Amino acid sequence: MLEVKNLKYSYNKDYQALKGVSLKVEKGEMVSLLGKNGAGKSTLFLHLNGIYEPDEGKVFIDGEELKYDKKSLLKFRQKVGIVFQNPDDQIFAPTVEEDVAFGPLNLGLSMEEVQNRVEEALARVGMSGFEKKAPHHLSGGQKKRVAIAGILAMKPEIMVLDEPTAGLDPQGVTDLSKLLNELNNEGITILISTHEVDLVPNYANRVFVLVDGLLIGEGTPKEIFAQPEILEKANLKVPIVTELFQKLEKDGFDMENDYPLTIDEARDKFLELLNKN
Amino acid sequence: MKFDMDYIAHNNALTESNPYVKLFLTIILLALTLILDNLYFDVIIFVVMSVVILGVAKINYRSYLKFLSIPMAFLVITCIFLVFFFGKGEVIYETGIFGIVVRSDSLHYAIYTFMRVIGCLPCLGFLALTTPIANILHCLESLKVPKILIEIALLMYNTIFIFLNEIDTMKKAQETRLGYHSYMSSFKSLGALASTIFLRSLDKSETLQNSLDSRGYSGELPVYVPKKES
Repeated sequence: MLEVKNLKYSYNKDYQALKGVSLKVEKGEMVSLLGKNGAGKSTLFLHLNGIYEPDEGKVFIDGEELKYDKKSLLKFRQKVGIVFQNPDDQIFAPTVEEDVAFGPLNLGLSMEEVQNRVEEALARVGMSGFEKKAPHHLSGGQKKRVAIAGILAMKPEIMVLDEPTAGLDPQGVTDLSKLLNELNNEGITILISTHEVDLVPNYANRVFVLVDGLLIGEGTPKEIFAQPEILEKANLKVPIVTELFQKLEKDGFDMENDYPLTIDEARDKFLELLNKN
Repeated sequence: MKFDMDYIAHNNALTESNPYVKLFLTIILLALTLILDNLYFDVIIFVVMSVVILGVAKINYRSYLKFLSIPMAFLVITCIFLVFFFGKGEVIYETGIFGIVVRSDSLHYAIYTFMRVIGCLPCLGFLALTTPIANILHCLESLKVPKILIEIALLMYNTIFIFLNEIDTMKKAQETRLGYHSYMSSFKSLGALASTIFLRSLDKSETLQNSLDSRGYSGELPVYVPKKES
């Protein structure tokens, strides 16, 4: 579906942001890219729809190599939608509906089709009724939803989100995770960058860890969070639930090398331990 | 009180009324005021439009005063200069300071300029305070105003809010650390603010470009026609 091969990119002579990154995301997956600030996550993302052209390496979408002429770019940008970290960077139109319509209009669709897509996308993110509102009068969470609707309206196959939970309140984070899970179930492949480890096991079925422009780990959340050396290099921690069970192990409970990552897993484990004793 | 013109434009009794009517009314009244150049007419327009803004559009009088106050300050300064430093006609009043005098034609200019602006301000205010910018731009678009002007206006309008927000945040951060405590530190802080805001603007414009490109921007902003409400 989405494949990146040995991607290298430098902003200037002294600073290489990506030092040969290769990764592969299969259709229908929900994948998380972990890494501290400045690890190169955003730089990598901007390669996925051809905003940046790599110094070396290639990007493949649906097995097709990404080309940088105008026509192919439009095609690939329809397939790969990027939701930017700060919705203010993305939303520019004076009304919500005009902003959501921007992408589909650029694709050259008929006005009727665009109208339907705008309506559908806003309904999908729960923002129906805000069509005529000015974006700068919306709250942070609402702006994020509008930004996502703007990408959804282009009907992408892959949606890439750069730190989508940054700046949202807890309820906003919960709602967003739910929305992303639903979109994934509807068949959209999703790639999320984040450093909020507590959320990752809830949605990601695979995790990549990026440190200083290099991928240093890849696997299921279980595999990744069981490798302290990788987490340390990436300035990450295990989810708070997992930390609890690691401490319990030190107190003499046998975890059999299986540490829960989510609240639900933790509950099961607790009941199991209680019944055992 | 924080004065948010955009918020007022979106939330007043005339927001939903036909923007073409408002636009044409404004243009016609502006033209009339300038062409007639009659002191009585200026006053009448001022009163009538103020009544419309306050009474019909139901805009809070304090917001309206705030709207008037900024251009008013410029106007007063301009007129003071006009009275004392311009004109060639006969001297009607000597101030006795550095030979500054008031001449008959300079007084005439000053009064007429003042009244003309007084007449025009509420006309513009009527449009600016009752009509969201999106509606104005759509009108101009259908009136065949060059697209490039509208696009620039639209992007500027959007970025002004981000820009003002940034300035606001940075200024508060500086004030928190006593950046405006003395004259000297005020100058320094203001300088730092200006240079940082410039660099940040460059940064922001690049990100905006990236995000527009990500959605297939081709150098021209397409026009969206919303569904007719049935």
